[in-house]
Amino acid sequence: MAKVLTTCIYCGCGCGLYLISDRMKLIGAYPSQNHPVSKGCLCVKGWNSYEFVNNLQRLKKPLIKKNGKLQTVTWDKAIDRVARKFKEINKKHGPDALGFLSSAKTTNEENYLAMKLARAVFKTNNVDHCARLCHASTVAGLTAAFGSGAMTNSIEEFENAEVILVTGSDTTEQHPLIGSRIINAIDKGTTLIVIDPRKIELAKHAAIYAQPRFGADVAWINGMMNVIISEGLDAKEYIRERTEGYEELKELVKDYSLEYVEKIAGIPKDKLIDAARIYARAKKAMIVYTMGITQHTTGVDNVKSLANLAMLTGHVGFESTGVNPLRGQNNVQGACDVGALPDVYSGYQPVTNASIRKKFESAWGVKNLPDKAGLTVTEIIKSAGEGKIRGLYIIGENPVLSDPDSNQVRACLEKIEFLVVQDIFLSETAEYADVVLPAASYAEKDGTFTNTERRVQRIRKVINPPGQARADWQIICEVAERCGYKGMNYSRPSEIMDEIASVTPMYAGISYDRLEPFGLQWPCSTKEHPGTKFLHKDRFSKGKGTFSPRPYIPPNELPDEEYNFILSTGRTYWHWHTGTMTRRTSTLDREVPTAYVEIHPNDAQGLGIKKDDMLRVSSRRGRIELKARITEKSQEGSVFIPFHFKEAAANVLTNPAIDPIAKIPEYKVCAVKIEKL
Amino acid sequence: MKSALINKSDIRLLLKEASREWNIYAPLEVQGGDVNFCCLPKENIKEALNRVTLDDKWIPVPPKDLFFPQLESLFEIKKNKIEETVEYSKKLLFGIKACDYQGILFSDEFFKRTFQDNYYLSRTKDRLVIIKSCLTPPRQNACFCTSAKTGPFLDKDFDIQLVDIGEAYLVEIGSKRGEDFILKYKRFFKLCSNSEVDKALTVKEKAVDSIELKIDFSRAVELMKGKEPPEEIYKKIAQRCIHCGGCIYVCPTCTCFNVFDDKENEAMIRYRNWDTCVFEGFTREASGFNPRETKWLRASRRYEHKLWYDYKTTGKSGCVGCGRCLTSCPVELGMSKFIQEITA
Amino acid sequence: MKNEYIPYPAIIEAIQTESFDTRTLKVRFKDKRLRDSFDYKPGQFVEISVLGAGEAPISITSSPSRKGFLEFTVRAVGKVTKAIHKLKVGDTVYLRGPYGNSFPFEEAKNRNLLFVAGGIGLPPLRSVINMAFDNRDDFGNIKILYGAKAPDELCFKEELKIWQGIPQAEVLLTVDKPANGWKGNIGVVTTLWKKTEISPKDAIAYVCGPPIMIKFVLQKLLESGFKPDNIYVSLERYMKCGIGKCGHCNIGDKFACIDGPVFSFGQIKELPDKEREI
Repeated sequence: MAKVLTTCIYCGCGCGLYLISDRMKLIGAYPSQNHPVSKGCLCVKGWNSYEFVNNLQRLKKPLIKKNGKLQTVTWDKAIDRVARKFKEINKKHGPDALGFLSSAKTTNEENYLAMKLARAVFKTNNVDHCARLCHASTVAGLTAAFGSGAMTNSIEEFENAEVILVTGSDTTEQHPLIGSRIINAIDKGTTLIVIDPRKIELAKHAAIYAQPRFGADVAWINGMMNVIISEGLDAKEYIRERTEGYEELKELVKDYSLEYVEKIAGIPKDKLIDAARIYARAKKAMIVYTMGITQHTTGVDNVKSLANLAMLTGHVGFESTGVNPLRGQNNVQGACDVGALPDVYSGYQPVTNASIRKKFESAWGVKNLPDKAGLTVTEIIKSAGEGKIRGLYIIGENPVLSDPDSNQVRACLEKIEFLVVQDIFLSETAEYADVVLPAASYAEKDGTFTNTERRVQRIRKVINPPGQARADWQIICEVAERCGYKGMNYSRPSEIMDEIASVTPMYAGISYDRLEPFGLQWPCSTKEHPGTKFLHKDRFSKGKGTFSPRPYIPPNELPDEEYNFILSTGRTYWHWHTGTMTRRTSTLDREVPTAYVEIHPNDAQGLGIKKDDMLRVSSRRGRIELKARITEKSQEGSVFIPFHFKEAAANVLTNPAIDPIAKIPEYKVCAVKIEKL
Repeated sequence: MKSALINKSDIRLLLKEASREWNIYAPLEVQGGDVNFCCLPKENIKEALNRVTLDDKWIPVPPKDLFFPQLESLFEIKKNKIEETVEYSKKLLFGIKACDYQGILFSDEFFKRTFQDNYYLSRTKDRLVIIKSCLTPPRQNACFCTSAKTGPFLDKDFDIQLVDIGEAYLVEIGSKRGEDFILKYKRFFKLCSNSEVDKALTVKEKAVDSIELKIDFSRAVELMKGKEPPEEIYKKIAQRCIHCGGCIYVCPTCTCFNVFDDKENEAMIRYRNWDTCVFEGFTREASGFNPRETKWLRASRRYEHKLWYDYKTTGKSGCVGCGRCLTSCPVELGMSKFIQEITA
Repeated sequence: MKNEYIPYPAIIEAIQTESFDTRTLKVRFKDKRLRDSFDYKPGQFVEISVLGAGEAPISITSSPSRKGFLEFTVRAVGKVTKAIHKLKVGDTVYLRGPYGNSFPFEEAKNRNLLFVAGGIGLPPLRSVINMAFDNRDDFGNIKILYGAKAPDELCFKEELKIWQGIPQAEVLLTVDKPANGWKGNIGVVTTLWKKTEISPKDAIAYVCGPPIMIKFVLQKLLESGFKPDNIYVSLERYMKCGIGKCGHCNIGDKFACIDGPVFSFGQIKELPDKEREI
C-alpha cells in the first residue's frame, strides 16, 4: 500500500490529494491537510478521483482502423503510421493542412511538447486546446486590460475580502473548494453579491442577489459603472495613476441609465444601485467569474467590462482585491501558459514576433518557424469539414461532445483524411480515428499542472499504466523522433520543465526541485524568486491598465415564436465535461445517471411537465430527448442542460456562433423549443 | 492492570524486530508533511521507521481503511469462475489514538452483527493494536474525546496502551494478546515501578485537562432520544453543505458502501467502495422514489444515526469525538458544532 | 465461514411476460445440492446479479411449497433489471440469499387472509398466497384485492383466474385506466372496499405496492377496524448488500433488508415519521 501526493485531475482549484495504491491498483484518494488549497478537504470528485483509473475499459493497446474497424497493432506500427501520414500530408498539402488539439487535462510538459511537435516538427501554428471553449475571452480581454489573462489573486485571499462579487460562476458546484471559502468568508464578515441568470446555491448566501437576463452582462456592468461614476465612487487617484482610457469609458457608460439597464437586463434599479455602492465602497473587493461571462459571442466584451469595473474602483493589484476568472480544467491555465495556443509560444510570447521566433528556433534547433497565427479549435474543426485540415492529432479531447453543434462536428471529423486520437478511453471522438493511441492517466505519470491561482504543482506517478499505454509526453516524443526530429529526447518530464523554464520568462525560476511540496505561483522569473501571490501589484503587467468601453450587443440567437426558450449549458457538480471519467466512477454516475434539463416550475406548469417527464428539446441544429428536472435555479423562459451525456448531448443544440476576437462559442445562449413526450 | 516500561529509543527497534512477523501500520510522515497511517514497507523498513511519528500529530484520515478500504474488490471472474478476493495478513497497528481505536471496535461489532462480513473480518482477524494516547489534542477545538468519553486514555478493551512519561513509555497491558506480544519481545521491555505508574496517572490527568473543547454529549443523546431537533437546524446545515461526503469518508465509524461492477469483454470485477448518506442517490430507488429526497432529511440522517440510532442499538454513540468531520468539511460543519447548537 | 457476498449461478428455465415492462423468470440453481437445500419463506428476497450490470434485490414470488425452482417478477426500471430483461431462456443469473424476514404464515393459520396489492406489489404476496392455497384447509376465507394502472399491467393474469376458482377465495381487480373491453372495477385499489365486505374479524392483512397506495390502504384498513399489529406491509427500499451492512436501506435504527422487508403497521409506526412516507 503506497500513498502518493499528487494534484487532483478535475477542476482548476488544484487540490492536493494522496492517491492510495495497492498491488498496482488505485484503492482510494484523500485530501492533503497541508496543501494550501485542499487543507484537509476535497469535493466529491476529488474523493472519488481514483476509481476511473482502474476501469477495465481503459485503452491498453494502440489501434489502427482497418476496413472501418479499429484493430490492435504494435506501438511501432501505430507510431509509424502517424509519422508517415503526417509527413505525407505535410508534403502534399503544406504544414497548415495539419492540426493539433492539445489538452487541458494533460500536463504542462505534454502541452509544451504538443505545441513543439506542431511548430518545430511540422511548422504549423495550428495548435489549440479547449481553453478556446472556456477562457479564450479572458485571455483576450484581461490581457488587453491588464496585460495578463490570469486570475489576479490566490485562493486563500477570498477569506479576507470585504466584498465578493460572483457572476457567471456556479462556484459551489464548479469550484467547490473556492465556493466553500466564499461561504466561510461570509461568516467572517464578507458581503457577497451574486449576479447570475441562474439562481445558484451561492445566491442563498448572498446579501444581494440579482438575476439578469442571459447575455445582458455588458449592460448591467455598464449600468453599475454609471452609478459609480455619477455617485462619485470611482477611484480617481488610482484611475489617474494606473490606468488609461477613462474618459471614453465615462462617455460610454452615461448611456446606461438605470431604466435602460432594467429594460435590457431585468435587474431592478435599487438592486443595481446597492450592488454598485457596496462593491465600489469596499476596500478589498474580488470579482469571481467563469463561463457565464466568457461563453458568449460578446465574451471578450463581458470580460473587458468586468476589468473596467474593477479598475474604475481601484480594485486590482492588492491582496484580496482583483478580478478572478476561475479556470475550469485542472490544467487549462498551464496549457495556455506553455503555448498550446495558435498565436503564442509558451509564456504568451507571440509567434508573430521575429525575435521571439528566433529564440525558439535556436532553442529547438530548427529554422523557419511559421510567423502567422494558426487556427483555433473551432476553426480547425470547421476547416476539417472544408477539406483544408487533412491531418488532425487530438490529445485527450472529445470535440464530438464538447464542441458546439455536435452533428456538424461529427460531419467534419468524417471528412478528415487522417485522424489520430490519443486518450485513456475510447471516446466518442476516438470512434472517428484512424489511429488510436492509448495514454497514461494522471496517476500513471509524472508532470505538473498549473491551477487557477497560477500554482505550478506536481503530479506524480503512483502506478504503471494499463497494458501498453504510455504517457502522452512519451508518445509525442516518439512521433517527433519518427518524423526525423532530433530535439525531443527527454528521459523524464523534469527535463521538459527545464526546457520550458529556459524559454519562458514567467516560468524561468521553476524546476522540479523547487516545486516541493506544493508548487510555485508564476510569475517566477528567477531560481530565487518566491513566486507571486497576486498580480499587478504597484503596476499592471502591461504598465497602465486600459479601459476598453464596450457597448451592449445582444446574443447571436434569441428566442422567437418557434424556438421560445433560452438554452444555457454547463456542468453539474457530479460530472466532468464529456463524462469519460466521472461516468466511470460509481458514486458520481449513480448520483446523476442520465441527462436532464432544468426548467422553472412556472414554465413546467405551463407546459404540463412533471418531474422526470421525458422532454424533447430542439434547436435549429438538432434535437435531444431527456428528463425534466423542475427547479427555481432556472430563470423563467430558460432551460439549462449539462453537456456530459452522449445519449442526450447538449451540444447537438448549441449555437456555433463565436466571439469575433476569442473565437469562443456562445454555449450560454441559444434558442430552443420544448415538447413533452 | 499489568504494566511495563519501554525506552522511547527502543520503539523503532521493537517495530523493526516485529516487522519480521507482522505487517506494521503506523503514523508516518508522508510527502507534503501530512501524517497518515501507512504500512511500513518490509523492503525499506529502516527508511520508513525514520518517518514514524511519535508526537501527537493530527491524522486527517482514521485507520479504518486498513480493514475497510475505500475501494475493494469482492470477487473477480476469471476463466468463467468466481474468484473471491478476501485479504488476510497479520497486522500490528502502532500509534493508534484512543478515539480511533474506539472507532475500530465499534466497526468490528457492526461487521460481526447478524451476517458476518468476511472481507472486513478477514482483514481484522490477526490484529494487535498498540495505542499511543495523546498528551495534548492534535487539533485544539476539533478534538473532543473527553466529551465523547473515548479518550485520551482507555481503561479497558485494549491490547497495549503507551503512556508518555518523558524518557520512556509506561506500557499498559490490557489483553492476553497484548501480554503475549510483550513476552515475545520482552527484551525491549523493562519492569516498571510504582513511581512510574503514579507519574503516568499525573500525565493522564494533565492530558484530560488539555482538551479545551467541551461538549454536552449526553444531553445531546437525551435530546435526540426524546424529540428531534427542529427542522430549521437541519435546513441550515443542508443549505451550507456542499455534499462532498468528507465528514462520512473520514468518520471512524461510518461503514456504508456502494457495490458496483466493472466489466469489459470477459473480465469482470465486483467492487464495493465508500458511500455516504448525504448523497441523494444513496436512497433513490430505480423507480425514482426516494424516501430522503430533500437535502435536510439527508443532513439529519447522519446526526440522528450517530447520536441516537447507534446508541439505541448498541448502547454506544457512533461518534468517537475525533473531530475529523469538522476538519474535513469545506464549509466548517461538524458534529461538535451540531451538538453545541442543539444543546445551546 | 460462508462468504455472503458470493452469488451462485442459476439457469433461466422460463420467462413469462406479464406486461410491457414486467416479466417473471423461473430459474433453477446449477448446483443440485443448492437446488435441494435452498430454503426460504414467503416474503423473503434474493440478490440477483447480472455480472457486469450489478446486483438487485428481488422478492421471491414462487411459493416455498413448490420446490426445486424459484420465480421472480422483475420490472425493468433500473440498470440491473433492464439487464435481466435482456436475458433469454438458458442464460445464467447469479443469486444469493434468501434474505430478509417473511410474512407471518404459521401465525396466520385458522384465520382469514386479506391481500391488498398494487402493480408490481402482487409478486411478493403471490408467494404467501400460493403457500396458503397449497395448505387451503389451514385458513379461513382468502380475499385478494389487486389494482394496476391498466388491465395489461396486471401480473399473473392466468393465475388470477385460477385463484378465483378456489373455494372460499375472492379475487377483486381494479384498474386506473380501463382498456381492451375491461368490465371490472375502475379506480384505485381502495375503491374495492365498496365491492366486498372487509372484516377485521380473525383476519390478517398483507399489503404491498407503491408507497402512495400503501398509505391509503393502511388508512382504509384502520377505518375497517384492523389493528396495526394485524397489518403486514412489505416495504420497498433501495438496497445493495441485502445483509445489513451497506446502509442504503436504513430507516431509523432498522435495516429494511434484515429487520424487514416485512413490517407490521405497529412496527412501522415506531419508525421516524419523516422517513416513512406512509
